Amino acid sequence: MKIKTFIENDSHLLKEISREVTDELRSLGTHEGLIFDIQVAMEEALRNAMIHGNKFDPQKKVSVEAEVVGGKVRVCVEDEGAGFVSSNVPDPTDEENILKTSGRGVYMINHLMDEVKYENGGRRVVMVKCLKQNNVKHGGK
Amino acid sequence: MQINFEDKSGVSVCKVTGDIDINSSPDMKKSFEKVFKEKKDKVVINLGEVGYVDSSGLATIVEILKNMRLYNGKLKLAGLSDKVMGLFEITKLDRLFDISQTAEQAINSF
Repeated sequence: MKIKTFIENDSHLLKEISREVTDELRSLGTHEGLIFDIQVAMEEALRNAMIHGNKFDPQKKVSVEAEVVGGKVRVCVEDEGAGFVSSNVPDPTDEENILKTSGRGVYMINHLMDEVKYENGGRRVVMVKCLKQNNVKHGGK
Repeated sequence: MQINFEDKSGVSVCKVTGDIDINSSPDMKKSFEKVFKEKKDKVVINLGEVGYVDSSGLATIVEILKNMRLYNGKLKLAGLSDKVMGLFEITKLDRLFDISQTAEQAINSF
């Protein structure tokens, strides 16, 4: 599987590219639990890119790359925004943040994928997950 | 996503069918306006037919809880699939919400 494309800041296109990747993973026989983890992480990254990165600026696009190599899926999402420092994002599970209605996306990405790196000043997130069945992360189910 | 409200033994039961995500969350928020306006104080959200929730969906459910707390309303969740429950556990929202296995259990627990 190898997908490389640019999409506009449209939440329906977000779902389309996500479906394309999950369909490909399904065709490779990937465990449904792993597909769920990858879908959530990828959609959160795309959502962050469109909302917080590009701020839905129609002049800006989101780059999406996804590939499976050596039993691992690697997904890269990059926006054209101002970037951010991931370590500055407050922990949404802290008591003072638990009732907040934003700030869970980065946390979910970090917990669902095996490796997460922010590059290019936080504009680009690179997420890797091993496609072994025992690597399902959503609550260990 | 589809949302249906039904009154059962004085409890408003909201059954959601489909994904609660970036596209459907605004509709879910809007569908609860009447609940807040009428200050319904016992509400169950049945998520038994929900296969996918993203951070927008989680935020929407948290917002519903916050709005109901303003008038001391009680919100319970029911029927979460293992996958959706996993997301509540990862984000520690399972500690914030009263979660039952079935809508009937949630209704009877008021």
